[in-house]
Amino acid sequence: MAITGIYQSGQVSGGRLSAKVSEVVAQNSKASLAAALLPVAVTLVALLVPVIAPYSPLVPAGPAFVPPGHSGFLLGTDSVGRDELSRVLYGMRASWFSALAVIASGLAIGVTVGAVAAVAGGWVDALLMRITDVFLSLPGPVLAIAVVAALGPGLVHTLIGVGIVWWPFYARIVRGEIRALAARPHLEAAKMSGVGPVRRTLRHLLPGTLPALVVTASLDIGNLVLTLAGLSFLGLGAPAPAPELGAMSARNLTFLLQDYWTAVAPGAGIVVLALVGNLAGDGLRNLMKDR
Amino acid sequence: MALFILRRLGSAVGVIIALTVVVFILQKISHTDPVHALLGPGASQAAIHAESVKLGLNKPLLSQFFHYLDGLVHGNLGISYRTRRPVAADLVEFLPATAELALVALVMAIGLGALFGLLSVRGGIAARIFRVVMLLGASTPGYLVAFAGLVFLYNSLHILPATGEASPGGQFQTGFVIADNLLAGQLGGAWDGLVHAILPAFSIALVPAVSIGRVFKSSLEGTLRSDYVRTARAKGLSERRVVAFHAIRNSVGPALTMTGLQLGLMFAGVAVIEEIFAWPGIGYYTAQAIPVSDFPAISGVTLVLGAGYVLINALVDIAQSLADPRIKL
Repeated sequence: MAITGIYQSGQVSGGRLSAKVSEVVAQNSKASLAAALLPVAVTLVALLVPVIAPYSPLVPAGPAFVPPGHSGFLLGTDSVGRDELSRVLYGMRASWFSALAVIASGLAIGVTVGAVAAVAGGWVDALLMRITDVFLSLPGPVLAIAVVAALGPGLVHTLIGVGIVWWPFYARIVRGEIRALAARPHLEAAKMSGVGPVRRTLRHLLPGTLPALVVTASLDIGNLVLTLAGLSFLGLGAPAPAPELGAMSARNLTFLLQDYWTAVAPGAGIVVLALVGNLAGDGLRNLMKDR
Repeated sequence: MALFILRRLGSAVGVIIALTVVVFILQKISHTDPVHALLGPGASQAAIHAESVKLGLNKPLLSQFFHYLDGLVHGNLGISYRTRRPVAADLVEFLPATAELALVALVMAIGLGALFGLLSVRGGIAARIFRVVMLLGASTPGYLVAFAGLVFLYNSLHILPATGEASPGGQFQTGFVIADNLLAGQLGGAWDGLVHAILPAFSIALVPAVSIGRVFKSSLEGTLRSDYVRTARAKGLSERRVVAFHAIRNSVGPALTMTGLQLGLMFAGVAVIEEIFAWPGIGYYTAQAIPVSDFPAISGVTLVLGAGYVLINALVDIAQSLADPRIKL
């Protein structure tokens, strides 16, 4: 669109048009790269939360229900006078690392299952993929709620519950990619030069699945942040005083119509994290598409 | 075709059996002891023993499972620790309200998804605006949408009600407020039900709508590049006619599959939204069961929703292959 516009306006002659085109492409991929790096920045900030947060997330810092922007409380205070900003920051930190932990465990299980299935083939493949299919065709959040309810509420149990339903898609991707890669010449060459199956998998097959996995996993961050917030809202996360975004919104629902910020601010924290995840996912996908 | 339908339904039944195994295992590792939960803390040793025998807990695991399966087949989902009633009876009472809410939400999600897809495929300013709207929609938890609606549409503007599925004094037989009133010819009552459903349904529908819109957009893009679309354009049809009469039909398949999948992902959202709006459905029932560790209630909900989800997706697949016989999944 922009390119035809430049061409029609006659400002650019033939030679400079290609320069303009590569500039537009470079700008696009620069934006994509910046978006793809956002999660790194958020992780750094999350690590620094104990330094950045102005107050303790657990101890009252002033009177209750101070509106945002008054007496030095940027996001106001909650029903017992705790600083809302500090609580939201700590909550975002917990949400972020929880999402990353689930992705890591999902990748660990999914990559193992997918790789073993693809490399072993035969009945092992059939069995593992049947199990994967069963998990894929069940409603994830419902199953996660049941798992957490069985284990008892708590952050670790919630992560286990969500982790159990979050791997099948990765397994599918890894198996598909590996089977496609295994037919490529460099794998045949490796096989003929006597590289064993384990080394072949680790050195020659798994690295090839990385692009697809990275894009899928980063697109999942936003989704996971929302899912975990929903479970926390339902009371499945860490117990009462812990600053957890979903639970904070749920407990402050009572004050929504008078002191809206107590319920809305934690939700806004979720939006920021989910946006970072979604932007990064889109950016990474664009970068991979360009290659 | 018949073979395909049989195979698809067969695999759905297989998945449902696997689901009962999973739920049974969860029940076994559950941190609440069913005997204690039913009898209370002050029960005597003899009473505990009698109750264990009654529940079959002294038998081997495999026969416990078959006993459990036998109960499920006869509609026995256990007794809720909280309501002290059969879970099956509870679900019959709470299911209609959720079904109605989910249906309204589904219609909204499909409508919005179609709108997102059609507008973002056209390019130009509208597409850019919709890309931002979709990004925000995919990043906003349903409860925040609900909060915004409650603050602005209920509290400030007094347009929409805040809680429940009907105004006090509303007449309806079952949880299907809209359907009941329509059947009774009470248009006012049906309207009242619909007005109550708008805000919760929209809060649930937004995230699925974005997913549906994205899939619809990319499948539309693919269709619009195909040869027959070029032919349609070449014979001089307007772009609007090309999209409306030629492209959409061949692009809804993936969007339909996505809609089926989104139904399962919606549930955590449904529970949260029903809790906020005091909507008397199974999401609310689940939300009430969670804090008191009422595992029979939760496992009942899991089984019913899981089985329903599996069957719906099987039906979506079958409907698709009926509509387009090239599809064999």
